[in-house]
Amino acid sequence: MGDASGGSIEVYVPYPLRGLTNGIGTVEIRAADLGQAIAELNRRFPGLAYRILDDQGRLRRFVNAFVNDEPVSHLSPNDVPLRTGDVVTILPSVAGG
Amino acid sequence: MAAVKKGDTVVLVGTRKGLFLFHSRDRKRWSSRGPYFEGDTIRHAILDPDKGKTVFAGVTSEHWGPVVARSTDFGGKWSIPKEGPRFSKESGISVTKLWQLQKGPEDDLYVGVEPAGLFRSEDDGATWSSDDGLNYREGREKWEPGGGGLCLHTILPYPGDSKRMLVGISAAGIFATKDAGESWSMYDAGIRWYGKQKLYDREDLSTCVHKMVRDPQDPAIVYQQNHAGMYRRTRGDPAWKIIENGLPISKSTGGAFGFPIAAHPHDRATAYAVPLVGDYNRVTPGGAMAVTRTTDGGKHWTKMTKGLPQRGAWFTVLREGLRTDSNDPAGVYVGTTTGQLYNSRDDGNSWQLMADHLPQVQSVEAGIVGGR
Repeated sequence: MGDASGGSIEVYVPYPLRGLTNGIGTVEIRAADLGQAIAELNRRFPGLAYRILDDQGRLRRFVNAFVNDEPVSHLSPNDVPLRTGDVVTILPSVAGG
Repeated sequence: MAAVKKGDTVVLVGTRKGLFLFHSRDRKRWSSRGPYFEGDTIRHAILDPDKGKTVFAGVTSEHWGPVVARSTDFGGKWSIPKEGPRFSKESGISVTKLWQLQKGPEDDLYVGVEPAGLFRSEDDGATWSSDDGLNYREGREKWEPGGGGLCLHTILPYPGDSKRMLVGISAAGIFATKDAGESWSMYDAGIRWYGKQKLYDREDLSTCVHKMVRDPQDPAIVYQQNHAGMYRRTRGDPAWKIIENGLPISKSTGGAFGFPIAAHPHDRATAYAVPLVGDYNRVTPGGAMAVTRTTDGGKHWTKMTKGLPQRGAWFTVLREGLRTDSNDPAGVYVGTTTGQLYNSRDDGNSWQLMADHLPQVQSVEAGIVGGR
């Protein structure tokens, strides 16, 4: 998992989560799918996965993920393959009150 | 920032947009801190009086999940755990919101969550264990949410007996344990059927409990504000008893409607509530704000209005929006959905505006640094 497999990808971390990444907004990691990418992010920045995934390992209700420009929020993270050079973007839904 | 000292009265106000902390030597001049946790909803925060300035806050980010944060210096620094309480993989459900926090009798910490669940921490909120007996209770698939969601919003430990507890779930009902959460039984007999002139005659019929509190002198006595009226129950009672003399009666439910209920810190049989019009119009009746008080265990309720707005006051006070401190005479605090915080220094006889223009108030909690 993580550095051990998959190609090099880039992950965009949204502003509200940068308290967990020491302010870093873009992280380069190796991962073969989105589940691996989130696990690797959590290895580097403990607590980040909890903020992105719910108790069942799905993306939280108001968290969106894109691979390049494609929305993948409706898929299980382990079912989202990644290829070298992909850009993963994690964004909050435009929801609130 | 003014220093917080032992003996200060503190008030913790959870809102839709962060946590506000107030403190005072005399309850006349208040200093404030915050807001903390910008943008996040604080449905409840508590002071641990035995630990001086320690505050726990239930922080729910609608986007990024909930955690219980802790400060040991009244908001100076916050410890944010890496995770919050979680349901099991097998359950298929996920914690979305935190509701009430409650200290247990063994220096433990409880939190009620949405969807309804109870979790306990022995390390000040860093890690949590599920009360499986309740959280995965047979029949939970039939639990229906109230207007605020399917939430476990009230946790009542029993002073001096760590095995006994009551919890309230909207709208699944009231659950009681006598074996430290291994098993739970329902505790709803006597509540009105919605809109009908009859009462529930069984314990296992779900009612919409809004808030419960124990009598300050006899913890077996519990007062309950329910969707369908105001009630009292104590040891040996086969059912809840209606206690509504002096309260406005809702046309829809046939009982007194409101959300919070709070107990006096010292005086036997003394409790406070905030009546609303009814479930079809959850505002203060006539646009006039009143806190009602009973001093005889619910036989009579008296309206207190001195210092409270009597014209154009159309708001709700939510289920955690009313509390007392432990001073003598007691301080009483009430926060509104329109962002006002009122306080009384004389057991509720008269009131002052303590803060205005806050975000929607979700919860109010009060205490004394160092305890009393």
